[in-house]
Order: sequence, then C-alpha cells, then structure tokens
Amino acid sequence: MIRLADIKKIYRTTEVETSALNGVSLTIQQGEFVSIMGPSGCGKSTLLNILGLIDSPSEGEYYFGDLEVAKYSESKRADIRKGNIGFIFQSFNLIDELNVFENVELALIYTDMKSKNRKERVMAVLEKMNMTHRMKHYPQQLSGGQQQRVAIARAIVNRPKLILADEPTGNLDTKNGEDVMQLLTQLNEEGTTIIMVTHSPHDAEYGQRIINVLDGKIVSENKLKAFQNASPS
Amino acid sequence: MWKNYLKVAFYSFKKGKLFSLFNLLGLTLGITCSLLIFLWVQDESAVDTFHQDSEQLHYVYTTQTIDGEVSGGLYTPALLPAEIKKKIPEIALATGIAWSTETTFSVENQTHKLRGNHTGEDFFKIFSYPLLAGDASTVLKKPESIVISRHMAELFFGSPQQALGKTIRYEDRKDLQVTGVFENLPAHSSLQFDCLLTWQAFMDDNWWTQDWGNKGPSTVVKLKKGADPEAVAAKIKDFLLAYDDDQSETFRTELGLFPFAKMYLYSNFENGHPYNGRIDYIRIFSIVALFILVIAGINFMNLTTAASLRRGKEVGLRKVMGAYRASLIKQFLAEAFLMCSLAVLLALGLVQLCLPSFNILTEKQIAIPWAAPYFMLSLFTFLLLMGLFSGSYPAFFLSSLKPVSILKGTLKFGRNALLIRRGLVVFQFTLSLLLIIGTFVVSQQVRFIQSEHLGYNRENLLYIPIEGDLGEKYPLFKEQALAVPGVEQVAKLGQSVTSIDNGTGGVNWDGKDPNSKVQFTHLSVGYDFLETLQLELVAGRTFREDYATDTAAYLVNEAALAIIPYEDPVGKRLAFWGREGKIIGVLKDFHFNSFHHQIEPLVVRLGEAEEGWDGMMAVRIKTEETQKALATLETIATKLNPAFPFTYQFAEEAHQRLYRSESIISKLSRLFAGLAIFIACLGLLGLSIFSIQQRTKEIGVRKVLGASVARIIQLMSSDFVRLTLLAYLLAVPLSWYVMNDWLSDFVYRINLLDHWYIFMYTGVAMFFITLLTIIVQTYKAATLNPATVLKDE
Repeated sequence: MIRLADIKKIYRTTEVETSALNGVSLTIQQGEFVSIMGPSGCGKSTLLNILGLIDSPSEGEYYFGDLEVAKYSESKRADIRKGNIGFIFQSFNLIDELNVFENVELALIYTDMKSKNRKERVMAVLEKMNMTHRMKHYPQQLSGGQQQRVAIARAIVNRPKLILADEPTGNLDTKNGEDVMQLLTQLNEEGTTIIMVTHSPHDAEYGQRIINVLDGKIVSENKLKAFQNASPS
Repeated sequence: MWKNYLKVAFYSFKKGKLFSLFNLLGLTLGITCSLLIFLWVQDESAVDTFHQDSEQLHYVYTTQTIDGEVSGGLYTPALLPAEIKKKIPEIALATGIAWSTETTFSVENQTHKLRGNHTGEDFFKIFSYPLLAGDASTVLKKPESIVISRHMAELFFGSPQQALGKTIRYEDRKDLQVTGVFENLPAHSSLQFDCLLTWQAFMDDNWWTQDWGNKGPSTVVKLKKGADPEAVAAKIKDFLLAYDDDQSETFRTELGLFPFAKMYLYSNFENGHPYNGRIDYIRIFSIVALFILVIAGINFMNLTTAASLRRGKEVGLRKVMGAYRASLIKQFLAEAFLMCSLAVLLALGLVQLCLPSFNILTEKQIAIPWAAPYFMLSLFTFLLLMGLFSGSYPAFFLSSLKPVSILKGTLKFGRNALLIRRGLVVFQFTLSLLLIIGTFVVSQQVRFIQSEHLGYNRENLLYIPIEGDLGEKYPLFKEQALAVPGVEQVAKLGQSVTSIDNGTGGVNWDGKDPNSKVQFTHLSVGYDFLETLQLELVAGRTFREDYATDTAAYLVNEAALAIIPYEDPVGKRLAFWGREGKIIGVLKDFHFNSFHHQIEPLVVRLGEAEEGWDGMMAVRIKTEETQKALATLETIATKLNPAFPFTYQFAEEAHQRLYRSESIISKLSRLFAGLAIFIACLGLLGLSIFSIQQRTKEIGVRKVLGASVARIIQLMSSDFVRLTLLAYLLAVPLSWYVMNDWLSDFVYRINLLDHWYIFMYTGVAMFFITLLTIIVQTYKAATLNPATVLKDE
C-alpha cells in the first residue's frame, strides 16, 4: 500500500540546515498495524506527517498505492488525504468552537457528501464509539478519553484505508489509553491499515511490527506477529 | 530596571518589525489627523476673541417680519450707531461698519487697488487693533481722514511714521489725509481691510443712508461694564419704531444683540436670529477627530494585544524566574508609553510637514503652538491616557496568566474579549463608512453646484467695475470694446448677477394690498444685458434702444409673478419706487444667489443713462481669444480711465467664491475619510492577524481533514465580511439621515434617492477593501503547512 524509497527531509533556515529524515525506506502492506518508536526529535513525527501527506519530503520517492506522490502539490495531496487517510493526534486537535457531532462531521464536509448521508454516517460512527449521548457537547466538556474517542470517530468517519496515529494515548491515563488501543486494534481487524507513533513499548506491542527510528533513520525493525493480508488491495 | 524594559521593548519592536510598523503607523496617522483638526478648530474658535473686553462687544442685528415672513441679518440703518449710543445709557460706544471693497488709491505716480471700508469714530476705541501712529479717539474724526494699515503705509510711503499727515487720492475724486496707521490685521480677525474711511464720508457718498428705512451696514456696540446684554437687547428691541415711519402691522423690524466674538461661527440666521453656521463644521470635525482618535486607540490596543500573544512564552518564563505581576504590568505599560510617545513625536513632525499644504487647503495660517503651555499639557495628558488605554489590556491580561498554561501553549482569549474586539471593528467601520458616504454626498453636491445651469451662462463672462471716468465714457468704451475681435457683448450691470442683494418693498401693481411691504430684489441694467448674460425670456421682450419709453419699463422674473398675480403680465402696470411703468417682459428664473437661497422675486429696470453709476459691466468674450481680448480691453480702459488700474473678475470665479466653505469642507472630508478608512483597515488587519493566530490549530486540523485553500480563505474571511456587512447596514441609514440634514441647508440640492449608487458603490468598495486587507493574511494561513502548525501542539 505504501512504499518509501530513500526519503529525506531537510529543514532549512537562513543559518541552519537540519536533517529530520535521512534516507528512510519503508514498505507497508494494506491492513498492517505498524508502530514507530524512537526518542524525541528522532524524526518519527516527520515521518508520520510525510506518510499522511500533510508534509512533503525533500528527496526520495513515495508511492501511495500506485501513485508517486512525493512531488504532489498541497491541493493534490489534500485530495488524496480526504478520501484515504484518517488522523489521530496526541492532543486530539478537536475544534473548540464545534460540538462533538460537528467535529466528526467536519471530515465529511470536505468530501461534498450530501447532508443527509453525512448525518447518518456521523451517527453510525458516534454509536460505534459510544459517544451518541455526548454529541451536543463541546470538547472542553469532555474527558480526555472521550475527546480521543471523538478524534478517532472523526478519523474513521471517512472510512479511510489508512489511519495515522501520533501518540494517541500520550495525553490519557492508563484506562483510557487501553480503550483507545483496543479501538485501534478493532479497526485494524476490520481491515484498516494503521501506522502509530508512540513512546510507549506497551502500546507499540499492539502492532504487528515495530520500526525503530533514530536520528532520521530506521535503525531496526521487530516483527511481533505474522501479518496476514486480510483484504486484497 | 527601566533600562531593561526599554531594551525588551526595543527588541520586541524589532522582532515583529512589520507588525510594529503597522501599529506605529496607525497611531501616528490617527494622532496627526486629530491634531490637524484640533489646530483647525482652535483656529476657527479663536477668530475675533483677541479684542479687549470682548464680552462687552456686540453686533446689533435686525429681525424683519414682512407679511408674516421672518428674516434676519446684520444690516442696520446707517443712522443707528450714533442714535443708539445717544439714547441707550448702557451702550458706551457704537460704530457702523460698511463693507470692504476693492478701491483705487493713488499717491503721486503710484496707484493701487486695496480693500477700503468705512467706519465710525469709536472704531479704534471698541476694537483692539493697535495704532502705530495717530490717536484712537481722533483718527476718524474729520470727514476727509483715512487710517491705513502698516502694509499700505509701507506701500505708498515707506514706513508708518512717514505716512502720517500725508495725502492719498481716493477713487480719483477725493483727497484724504492719513490720520493714523494700524498694525496689519491678524488672520484671526473676521473684519479684513487695508484702510478705513470715516462714517461721514460713507453717508455723504450714499444718499440712501439718510433714511431710517434703508438698511445695509452693520452696527457694533460696546456695552458699559456690568451692563446685562439681555436687558439691553430687550430695551432696544423696538428702538426703530420711533424712527422708521414704514413700520406697521405687516412690516416690523426689531433689533437684537449678539456677541461680536461669536458671530463668525454663528452667521446663519434662522427665524430672524443668529443660529449656527461655521460652528456646525467645528462640531462635525471635532466629532470626526475624536472618532479617528478612538479608532486609532482601539487599533493600537488590538494590535498590541495580538502581538502580545506571541510573547506569552516570555511572560511565562519571566514568571517562572520570579517576576512579580506588578513588574510585568510596568513592563507592558512602559512599552505602550514608549510606542505612544514615538507616535506623538512622529505625528508632530508630520503635522509640521503637512501644515503648509493644510493651510492652503483651509485658507488659513495655522502653526503648531509650541510655546503654549495648554498645548504641551494637553499633548502630555493625551499621551498618558493613550498609553494607559492601549497598554492596560495587554498588561493586565498577560500578567494575569498562569505560567504553566502559557508555557504549555494554551493561550487563548475568552469569548467576551473577542466579542468586544468585533464590536470595535463594527464601530470603526460604521464610522469610516459614514465618513466615506458623507464625503461622496458633499462632493456630489459641490459638483451639482458647479455644473448646474444657473439660468445664465457664466462661462467666458467678465465683470469689469465701472469707476472713475469709465461711467461717463461708458458708451465710448462699449463701442471700442465691441470692435475688439473676441468681444461678443458688453452691457452695464448694477451688481454682479452672481449675487444680487438689493432689496426693496417699493414695488406696486394693480390690486396690491396697500399694507403689504413684500420684498423684491432689484437690478439695474443697460441695453444688451439679456444677450450678454444669455438669459432666457419667457414672454415679451427686453429693453431696446429704439423704444424711448423703456426708461419706465420693467422686466420681472417668474418668481415675481408668484406675487404679482397678473395672468398675462406683459403690458400691465408696475411702479418701482413710485415710478410708473409697464412690464415689458418676463425672464425665466435664474440663480442670482447661492443655492442655499430660494430664487427671489426680481424686478429689472433700465439704468443705461443713470448718472453716478457705481456698478460694473458684463463682457462676453470668446474662449479662444480670451487673452488677446483682455489685453486690448485693458488698453482701451487705461486710455479712457487713466487714473484707475484695469481690473476684472470672471463670473465663474465669483460663482465659486460663493461656495468657498463647501469646497473646503469637501476637500477636508475627503482627506479625513481617506485617513479614517486607512486606519480602520489597519485595525482590520490587526484583528485578522489576531484571529488567525488564535485559529491556527483549527486551520491545521481542517487542512488535514482535506479543506482546500479556497475553503480556508472563505472560512477565515467570512467572519470579517459579516462584520463589515453589519457595519454597512448600520452606516447606510445613519449616513442617510445625517447627509439629508446637511443637504437641507440648500434650497437647491441633490436628491439622495437619485444618488443611491453612492451607497451601493461604497458598500462594494468596502467589501473589496476588507477582502484585500485580510486576503494576504488568510492566504498565508491557508497555505501554511499543517504539519508545522500541529507540531507546535
């Protein structure tokens, strides 16, 4: 589903040049659950952003399915993003001014889906996340765990093939963290590809393999479970 | 400590260079603008206030009621000053003042046209015009005296001292002796003249002044110390009853008193009493200045607050390092004061730079009163208030934040603060729209005045005064002038048709109520006046040389026929000042006064052969030969009338002069409206930067979810477009009301309904200006890499 070949990401200011990714090559199959680990500043979030098409690499090739997207413009990347990729962030990134329903609906608004269909889709996802009773609430009225459930609802409402999670349990207590990981596992079992960045070895073990990043490079890879391609791509 | 504050202030200014510059620019422009208006208002209010015992000086004005119609003015009988001083014990001094006219004076070979006026003996005792030579109580005693200005003395004699006792020839018919020299008049004097002649001379030259029924000159009195002006006014109310035989039930003239120093600002009369005038403009512009200052202050506060958001981290760190809240408040206030001081300094420089052009625009001689303690004091007070006003919000807000939340980066303003900020934007945009619409309406009215057909053709029409020998030699002049290529018509005129103000109640017709004193304007003309002015006849004919009886023939305008109820007026009886005659023609109504006034009923009589003519002639010339024709006319006039320099005035010029204040107001409002909108845009820019800063995360999230650049721009702009729309909806009815009120001062005016497009265009322009202002910022936000934004989280 995803193939990265010798990806580099260099940040330049007038005085300094920082290399965030330094020749990353990686292949991810459809339906895989991959954990990415590494210390702070190692480049894992940059990698996730490039994988999620919200940032573009400075060099290298990036195949998303059959498309070579490394040189795509922002608007083309946005087109691919909105139908295929869902995002989950450590700090949830819900919009304070919108209620739960509207936050989830936001992901569908940019796909030009009809209002009636949108409503049905959002309600179904909220039900799945067990958040229907809170749909009129605003983010600041919810607990961290609930906020992350809303964020996951928003990420999956589009039925994306790929979910990118950037430390999804980082701001949660153990109990809520566990719930979130169960949800992700469930989504993966239903066929969604998941790539997750985490600091937590415990969470990482939910994946089928763990990729370790250091100084912008993949330094090792641990295969935890055998991966069976559940659905044909 | 203070050094550190300054250092940090300077550093933060440098860091957000563009932002700081915007902020400084807005405030500087706001202060400059308000300062200019303040100086103008100061200058206007200072007119005529420099006279000693100013509160004891009063104009005597008249309130006339004719057949139920009330009017008022400063015209009084020429006999009034002397009589009122004699009869009313509370009046210490009194003088008549005629009018300043361009008059020809000569000494030996030198001849100059200067502004001469006539006034009474008490003049220099009433007013504080310092005399450089001569004695205030005697300078105007002898009828052949003349008191001249320093300028005139230097012009003719080299110095004021050398002028005393010398002889000056007046209008080539009288020798006058210089009995005094006064210092050149200050610009703050509403009375302007180069020399003064005696009241006796005025009465001798104008036979009609002997009659109490004729009014023209103004009268100024000085009350005795302690005299109550209201009591004196009540006492003189019916003063004229004993002198003017014409006074009756239907024709009443009452006298009133109005402070001399205030008359400049209240020169309009309503219901027969002084009411408003330039004071209206002072009020309007004072409000404008205040508004501009408030807008600039609000923006400054908004922008400073927005900029301070970026400094949350600094504040958090300072707090962690142990800074007290008070020291942080001091820091932010110090920065605000520094910025305000800089803005005030820059504004002072800018005002100094602008003053020469501003003075040309306003026809004034304004200077910054550096030495005046009140000026420095008010500037300092302003600085203090502005610094507190604009620095307090960021200071108290930022210093109140908990260091943890700032360092975690969750800095956010509450809903109330946002609501206030939006309210302020609506407020300043409403105001700017009001100014813009107002400016458009004023310009349209001025344009209407300039382009409206007056009923006569004022283009290529010259007025040449008939003075000296030219009166006697007029037929010869006319004959020679008509032979000049480029000269089309020549005709005598009693007054320039731009403003005819001769009024009389002495018109009679068949069936007139014998008690009625209804007023007519009258004009004396020579042959060919109709053709020269290019007036239109509705019925009958004009005066003709081959009709000997035309010396007792009259033309009337259409407005006159509204009073004289002849069905078919041509050939009907009309008597003017007792002289029986016939109406021979009816003139189509034409404007012979400003558009503020209705076209009055007019009687035109033939004065071709009148003696002692002191009017002028109208000359119609061809456009392409103006210069040549003027040169030849000068040669002819100088040959026939060598004692008088050749002068002329274009009718167009005279017409424009009628609307001098409207023209200045139009220019001023254009200037201030432009500045107001610019400052408001800076405010909008500040708010949009602020709002984008607050919503960066939202933009990032939306982009990650697939929002296109266009959608983000739309999202970010719609808020501001809504705010400007609201401002527009408020401004339209408000400006409609205000401008309709302004227009109601004109009898002939534009109809706002016909100019609906002003409102539409302003709205459209505002919409685009709003978009243009915020588009760069929103575009920047919309194209931001979401990865950068979300990484900050």
